[in-house]
Amino acid sequence: MICENCKQRPTKVTVTQILNGEQVQRHYCDVCAQDFHPFHLDLQDPLSLHQLLSNWFGIPENQQLQQKQQTEAISCSSCEWTFRQFLKQGKFGCAHCYESFHEQLPEVFKKLHNGNVKHVGKAPSTFGQTLKLKRQIESVRTLMRTAIEIENFEEAALLRDEARALEEQLQSGGENRDDN
Amino acid sequence: MTIERFLNNSATSWMAGEGEHADIVMSTRIRLARNLTGFRFPLSFTENEALQVDQAISSVLLDAEAELESTFSYIDIKEVSTLNRQVLVEKHLISPKLANSEIVGSVLLSNDESVSVMINEEDHIRIQCIYPGLQFHEAWRQADKIDDILEKQLPYAFDEQFGYLTSCPTNTGTGLRASVMMHLPALTMTNQMNRIVTAITRLGMVVRGIYGEGSEALGNIYQMSNQTTLGKSEEDILTDLQSVTEQIIKKEREARAALIHTRPNVLEDRLYRSLGVLTYARLLTTEEAGRCLSDVRLGIDLGLIKGVKVAILNECMMFMQPGFLQKYAGVPLQLEERDVFRAKLFRERLQVNNNIDDEGEEIHDV
Ligand SMILES: [Zn+2]
Ligand SMILES: [Zn+2]
Repeated sequence: MICENCKQRPTKVTVTQILNGEQVQRHYCDVCAQDFHPFHLDLQDPLSLHQLLSNWFGIPENQQLQQKQQTEAISCSSCEWTFRQFLKQGKFGCAHCYESFHEQLPEVFKKLHNGNVKHVGKAPSTFGQTLKLKRQIESVRTLMRTAIEIENFEEAALLRDEARALEEQLQSGGENRDDN
Repeated sequence: MTIERFLNNSATSWMAGEGEHADIVMSTRIRLARNLTGFRFPLSFTENEALQVDQAISSVLLDAEAELESTFSYIDIKEVSTLNRQVLVEKHLISPKLANSEIVGSVLLSNDESVSVMINEEDHIRIQCIYPGLQFHEAWRQADKIDDILEKQLPYAFDEQFGYLTSCPTNTGTGLRASVMMHLPALTMTNQMNRIVTAITRLGMVVRGIYGEGSEALGNIYQMSNQTTLGKSEEDILTDLQSVTEQIIKKEREARAALIHTRPNVLEDRLYRSLGVLTYARLLTTEEAGRCLSDVRLGIDLGLIKGVKVAILNECMMFMQPGFLQKYAGVPLQLEERDVFRAKLFRERLQVNNNIDDEGEEIHDV
């Protein structure tokens, strides 16, 4: 019998695999068998979420253990899932869970999203206007702080005025939205 | 509109073999996860909630056909047989998760199969756009447009801090998963993939083999996607993926050049052996078929193999999967029967291919 891979050398190794519940045998030569490096791939989840989440609480010292148990017992009023259930399944039961577990989530997201805890992308148009203004104010303030640091006070004063104008706009915009 | 056309047509838009860098990047996919307020997520909702969600979403999308310049077919997943579900998964039109759903779930498919909107999968809404070749921004524009249409009519679950609220915390934020499917035979042959996978993981992206049922990347086809969805804008996510993809394309081209330069006879021998196997074998496992298809495709790209059309290879790649094979055979097939049937199919397709070259005629899908 010749090797399934290179079709040149005789078979030396038999590998048994389970594919879709059926057993399959593969025959490779000693050269190809060495190259046979399985790296496991799962199309659905980008990482072992469950494992990651259940590790995040760390060392179970006495005080921490008690705190941990309390935290895990917090539940969502809408879907009735507990935080423990969220950790176990790695999924939220409903959108309200985000509010119910609000305190714990930054820790979770930091681990999952490379230290990030805040959304900066697209927003539905109903949220869009307010959010856009808030982000604009944030960036103007950052520019202002930089201007102060390099002692460019004229520029800083202009930026301060700009931020104020945006804030006023935000407040009147917020009122308009409530009317809708 | 019937589901049959989606099942019987082996050629699908993302397999067209067109688009930028189409010899290496086979397709680009954008997926957006969205949920409605007022309904719990599919993991915990009632059947009644599911029904309301389904009706709300499908009616908005079906009303927007003119605006989207496309017609959509609504398919209720519980009316689709297990085999047909598998075929839809093999064409990447629905996810394995939706296919395994026992109670609720549906999908709206655009006629050209480039858009699929899944309802009540893990989230209420999953918008998916697949384009051939490397087209991150084009695919994003289409998904973004559909998202805009839905958000105008439907109240989305959105939070200022966390963005779009999704069932899985790995999607929270943009809800965006963007990916490319790449054929990387030279990087695989020269044992560079492990190193590349490690480097890309550090950049916050994921690479995995696709079509593989257990071990290695079947047919040297890999999928790369963004890992994080929070703290980065859609534009930044896409731009970063685009530049990493271009790097990989460059590396693959270099590896191909090196292969053909160092041992041309060994390479040519290997690629032609694979063409021989596909044309004459009597038993073909998925793994062997995938490996040989990859070789022949590389042979075509390098100009070593002539007279075989890439379109035929794409069709064979689709057809060699278990669901399609059994659909084509018309009967359930055991594992070894599949290997026999797969070999027969390849022989026929490749010979048909040769005949076309002689007579210049088009063949039609079975
Ligand atoms: Zn071998
Ligand atoms: Zn909840």
